Amino acid sequence: MTKRTGVFVCHCGNNIAATVDVVRVAEELGREEGVVYSKDYVYMCSDPGQSTMAKAIKENKLDGVVVSCCSPTLHEKTFRDVTEEGGGLNSFRCEIANIREQCAWVHSDKPKATEKALKITKAAVKRVQHNQSLTPIGVPVTRKVLVIGGGIAGIQASLDLANAGFEVILVEKNPTVGGHMIQLSETFPTLDCSQCILSPKMVEISKHKNIKLLTQAEVKEISGFVGNFKAKIHQKAVYVDPETCKICDDCAKVCPTVVSNEYDVGLTSRRAIFIPFAQAIPATYTLDESACLGLNPVVCGKCAEVCEAGAINYDMRPKVITEEIGAIIVATGFDLYGKENLGEYGMGRYADVLDGLQFERLCSASGPTGGHVLRPSDHKEPKNVVFIQCAGSRDPETHCAYCSKICCMYTAKHATLYKHHVPDGQAYVFYIDIRSGGKGYEEFVQRSMERDEVMYLRGRVSKVYEKSGKMIVLGVDTISGKNVEIEADMVVLALAMQPSQGTADAAKTLKIGRDKDGFLAEAHPKLRPVESVTGGIFLAGAAQAPKDIPETVCQASAAASKVIQLLSKDELMHSPTVAKVRLSHCTGCEMCVQACPYGAIDLGAPSNKARVNDVLCEGCGTCQAVCLRAAIDVKNVAQVQIHDMINACLGV
Amino acid sequence: MIDVAQLKAHAKGLLEKGTVRTVFGYRKSTAGLLAEPAGITEAAQADDLIFDPSCVQNLALYLVNDKKHQAEKRSDDKRPVAVVAKGCDSRAITVLLQENHFSRESVHVIGVSCEGTGVVDARKLARKLGNKKALAVAFDGADAFAVTTNEGTQSIAAAEVMAERCLECRSAHPTLSDVVFGEAKAERGLHTPFQAVKAKIKESEEDRWAYWSRQFDRCLRCYACRSVCPMCYCDECVVDSISFVIAPDTTAEEKANRIKWIERSPAKSESAMYHMVRAIHLAGRCIDCAECERVCPVNIPLRLLNTRLEMEAFETFQYNPGSDPELPTLTSSFRDTDPNSFIR
Repeated sequence: MTKRTGVFVCHCGNNIAATVDVVRVAEELGREEGVVYSKDYVYMCSDPGQSTMAKAIKENKLDGVVVSCCSPTLHEKTFRDVTEEGGGLNSFRCEIANIREQCAWVHSDKPKATEKALKITKAAVKRVQHNQSLTPIGVPVTRKVLVIGGGIAGIQASLDLANAGFEVILVEKNPTVGGHMIQLSETFPTLDCSQCILSPKMVEISKHKNIKLLTQAEVKEISGFVGNFKAKIHQKAVYVDPETCKICDDCAKVCPTVVSNEYDVGLTSRRAIFIPFAQAIPATYTLDESACLGLNPVVCGKCAEVCEAGAINYDMRPKVITEEIGAIIVATGFDLYGKENLGEYGMGRYADVLDGLQFERLCSASGPTGGHVLRPSDHKEPKNVVFIQCAGSRDPETHCAYCSKICCMYTAKHATLYKHHVPDGQAYVFYIDIRSGGKGYEEFVQRSMERDEVMYLRGRVSKVYEKSGKMIVLGVDTISGKNVEIEADMVVLALAMQPSQGTADAAKTLKIGRDKDGFLAEAHPKLRPVESVTGGIFLAGAAQAPKDIPETVCQASAAASKVIQLLSKDELMHSPTVAKVRLSHCTGCEMCVQACPYGAIDLGAPSNKARVNDVLCEGCGTCQAVCLRAAIDVKNVAQVQIHDMINACLGV
Repeated sequence: MIDVAQLKAHAKGLLEKGTVRTVFGYRKSTAGLLAEPAGITEAAQADDLIFDPSCVQNLALYLVNDKKHQAEKRSDDKRPVAVVAKGCDSRAITVLLQENHFSRESVHVIGVSCEGTGVVDARKLARKLGNKKALAVAFDGADAFAVTTNEGTQSIAAAEVMAERCLECRSAHPTLSDVVFGEAKAERGLHTPFQAVKAKIKESEEDRWAYWSRQFDRCLRCYACRSVCPMCYCDECVVDSISFVIAPDTTAEEKANRIKWIERSPAKSESAMYHMVRAIHLAGRCIDCAECERVCPVNIPLRLLNTRLEMEAFETFQYNPGSDPELPTLTSSFRDTDPNSFIR
């Protein structure tokens, strides 16, 4: 049957037309076999452009449409909608030839770029001439959301979703929610108490009827697809029943094992049975299995003996919880760049070289010193404190290449807080430059310099060493051009933020991408910043990139609103461009089953040949590539189409 | 030393009891030195079975062909078939099991030790013997063959007349078997694995291009290499347009859209493509039985092509085809230890 294909070539203003002779492309394509209509236009995606398309499809009775324009990620949907709604032709009979990103933008030689644009468009014509009409597959959705990570990002997203009426499962690895924010003393630029603003939200989490909180739990497996995921969650045995625990502290008093306290970043210690901090949610003691002498009354059993409420039960076992959910928000947060990487600054060698989080604990009223800034080594008030910014950040040769974004601000905050605690002390800050974009941020930094007389020195520190019992910070002040030596009582490093271990694990479990630095990759850096590349999985907080609290909260709410959008439909539409098995050629070798990243293929009746689950299939074509027998094709990307496209490119 | 009488008795027992439908083994050929494959169905025929260094063929092929014949005959005899398998043949069976070509229960593997010496290369032997004509060849200790010619029997160092692949063999003893005759011998280690291909790829690109152009130019496209390969079991071959499968459910559209990726004419470019495609389709599946090379009427060194990809599979992914029937195949699997960080 003769084909009636239409070609629409877009100038994209000058984006394409400056490098590609679009008029010639339209003319030459008009002479291709089966092409009955070919036209160029300055902005095909504009209203007049779309009307031209719709009219041409109807008037010329087109049975296939190629739009030569930008990437299909931008306007495939636009033009397919025009094809179906305006032109009355099945939307899957429209294909995009990307002559912008894959041609005009990456070339400068106009004649050669035009040749390439011709080939790309001719190939698309050959493809569309074999396209079938397809109908999207409707899939029901589960109105439940999994939030991974109970820091401020996860808390905010969970609350937004729960308040919108969705059921939320919040999974946190640690014994309490709160994340890093709950460790902070005050927050810039307003200096409001971090605990005071966060703990009400934590309480709300524990009280909310729509939120199921699973602490000491990790997501181990995710299967399914957008709207219909299945999660396998492992929850550690906690050995204390939160309902019965009265938080009396009797157990911790008798516990013989002492280990470093994570909440105070190692500045204090705790027992094997402990509550992370007074406001912990869930409000219960918990038994750290790795530190306990043995969960056995014969070995120790002291805590169970003294517990009047009888809340301690050594027979508890880890649980595996399976949940069905419709969407996932990943808010797995950050870790500080490992101290061990910064030996030149004496980290780990000198007790009085601290990281930012440790300094927060020193400033905090709930911290190890009750809110007094004291040196860990001798509990004396430090009179000279040196803050070193960019410790590990902006150093592509040896550490992280990126800027950790929040360190300029929190260092200014640290210096200010220090001056509030020790008015006769002197704070020094070594910096590369000061990045204080944000509402009230620049004013805050200026205030720290002017009112609190913080000495800002522009330059890097080369090393921190000890001389006759004193720590010496050797650096350079690039403004005066002189080397600086400061006798410091305490050194605080603004360590780089890096994606947490939990972020790396989540990326693997959820099969979502990470960027070069290991942060979770967003679907589009500008237009889809809270979505992962996998449908139904969203990102929030510092797991995606370094960011401060306001920005994290913004992103968490944004992710929540994206989920609400997704789950408020009755049915999700799944693309029908899925794999199809040619049973006559399939030998049941199972290679496609093993290769499918979505678990969409299995061997089935009647003859143990491959069988595709249309709803799970994403149409990625991995099966097509591994099949030795060409027994599996993705609809509208069939072998014959690829063959004809190659021929079109080769000009044969 | 392998006792052939035991092998015969075992085959006879299987056929007498009727536990297997057929035994695929080797018997003395009526034409020349090399043994010929035999499919025996009667217990009395078991006495014809032999095993010596002339048993070069990979009998896994006959399992594949047997499956086709059974399907054509619509036979409902579900009894297993027995097959005599050297180390290399057992690896081929393992690959076929990995690909679900047949089930483990449907094949009874009679493993045989190819001793310390492997099998003979008839061309090398003929060159060595000059005017004398070899009539029979037997295992003779750990490093020699006893060759009988029209002038009597002589002992020849195995390394001089052994098949190339046996020199490079990394696992001579059957990895998969229901019964084994003969002892496992220490690996020969005569040549380092992939020695031949490693020597070849050291040559300059121009030299290799000239070399392979010459080789592919000579290809007759007789498809003997494909016919002898147990892995080439597809009904429809992507490089051969007359093998199109027309089944009752083949639609008119499918018929109309048949693709000719490669022309049938034995032109250099088409033959080059044919061999390349075959080599790539064998990646992670070729167990180096070198039958393709042995049967080639114009002596194209096909082993070099196939082992090139096996070397890649082994050195990059530590993948040994045919080592474990439970393992997913090379091209369809992914491991967290993948050397490329972009994919992890």
